[in-house]
Amino acid sequence: MTRRVAIVGTSAIPVGRHQTRSDEPLQVLEQEIMTRLVIDAVHDAGVEKKDIQSLVFTVPRPYTLQKYFHTFLICHLRLACTGTVMEVMGNGMTAALAFDQARNEILLGRAEVALALGINMEAATSAQDHAMSSMRTTGDVDFQASGGFIPISWYAMDAMRYMHDYGATREQIGAVAVKNRFHASFNPLAQYRKPITIEEVMAQRPIVEPLGLYDVPGRSDGAACLVQASEEVANTVGRPYAILRGRGFCHDGSHQINEVPNDMTELIAAKQAGATAYNEAGISAGQIDVAELYAPCTIVEVLVSEALGFFPRGQGALAAQDGQTRLGGRIPLSTSGGLTSRGHPAYVTSLYNMVEMADQLRGRAGERQVANARMGLTTGELGNYNAALIHVLEAAR
Amino acid sequence: MTLESIPVARKRAYPPRMSAFTQPFWEGLAKSQWKSTCCEACGKFTFPPKPICPHCWSDNMQWKGLSKRGTLYSWTRVHSAPKVFTDEAPYAFCVVDLDIGLRIATRLIEHKGVAFKPGIPMEVVVLNFEDGPLFASRPA
Repeated sequence: MTRRVAIVGTSAIPVGRHQTRSDEPLQVLEQEIMTRLVIDAVHDAGVEKKDIQSLVFTVPRPYTLQKYFHTFLICHLRLACTGTVMEVMGNGMTAALAFDQARNEILLGRAEVALALGINMEAATSAQDHAMSSMRTTGDVDFQASGGFIPISWYAMDAMRYMHDYGATREQIGAVAVKNRFHASFNPLAQYRKPITIEEVMAQRPIVEPLGLYDVPGRSDGAACLVQASEEVANTVGRPYAILRGRGFCHDGSHQINEVPNDMTELIAAKQAGATAYNEAGISAGQIDVAELYAPCTIVEVLVSEALGFFPRGQGALAAQDGQTRLGGRIPLSTSGGLTSRGHPAYVTSLYNMVEMADQLRGRAGERQVANARMGLTTGELGNYNAALIHVLEAAR
Repeated sequence: MTLESIPVARKRAYPPRMSAFTQPFWEGLAKSQWKSTCCEACGKFTFPPKPICPHCWSDNMQWKGLSKRGTLYSWTRVHSAPKVFTDEAPYAFCVVDLDIGLRIATRLIEHKGVAFKPGIPMEVVVLNFEDGPLFASRPA
């Protein structure tokens, strides 16, 4: 029988502002946060220290002074390993890749238990300074960044085109922000928890037109740890777990825009990766009970919800306004509060999405719990969804 | 194809790097020339200019004039700018589909009396800053 991998334990600090300015007398040190998270997640999983043979870290932000943080942290825990210890990087896809690589360690038989973990500290760095770095992460440094493009500007152009093509309104797209905040109000890990109205969303100052402040992510720090184990180990421990049923990846061969004109808002990579993951899991979109999407802006959740087949093309924004993606709706999306309200510590965002998915599938999401959640889907991406990494997980209780 | 040149009395906020290969593009742009590389093997244009054809991987690339006409695919206006661009904010940029079948992303220049709307005709122009050129688009 094919080897299978489960999420058996999770831990995370609340998303928010944790990074200290360099002139503050007392500094927050990343290793002090991460060692505690490893202990908490391993305890949650019910596995032993000696069972852990691989650790896959997300690369820290450049503001983290301690370089090669992965090997540094190993000495704080005296975790001698024979699988693999490494850091991975893939822009917004970083944490989804860390999760994927940790799973590979188990699939390859190098480990029975592997950790995917990391910390993202940036919120004490001013937005204008941080943008000098982030403007080099999307598009072409010489031919596009020289004009002042920033990462979320590409999503803004998705929104402008989507509204043009389908007659969607800003209110319909903004409904995603209201829904996310409602979900976040039930999530102790969320950064922004005070419920908001659509009127408040519409009244915010523009950031990248047509998107306003509540349509885009804030600045966030975060850290999380996931414990993954072989199905055999998960069954031996005997606690509820979430088993990986399907995985799909697609890079569409372009970066931000396709130089051969295409339908930019179709998100072809998400569509293809989703189809691959559904196929591997032997299911269709209609069988997904809950999805935790990597969607930095409101419009992105709308587009991904269509690319994954939850709604027909052009109907995603309307469905969001209609409450179909809200808790209790047809397909609850981003029950954590999503990137706009749970928060978006970019390099670890997908770890948080997995924490939420594991909570949902292990039946411990509290007031956010989707009734009888059995099958869940998560996404990771980079660029303007030029690449997508999608996982389908199933509850085992 | 010759572009209309618009002088800008300042230096570029974030000047592009120039390589020996892209030098003809940037030096040509300063003289209002709009060109990129076209593959001699498969006949396809590419932008930005590249020494290897991304489609067929041939290295037989030639500089050729590009169409400066196109249509607006989408646009946005940025209010939250990186440090070096804060004094220019808010500013707009866009995705334009050139008539030749190439999609490009550029700064978007206002054209008095014309509202930005996907589908409107566009033209590429050159912004000649004190220290060098940048390309941009505006409603035709």
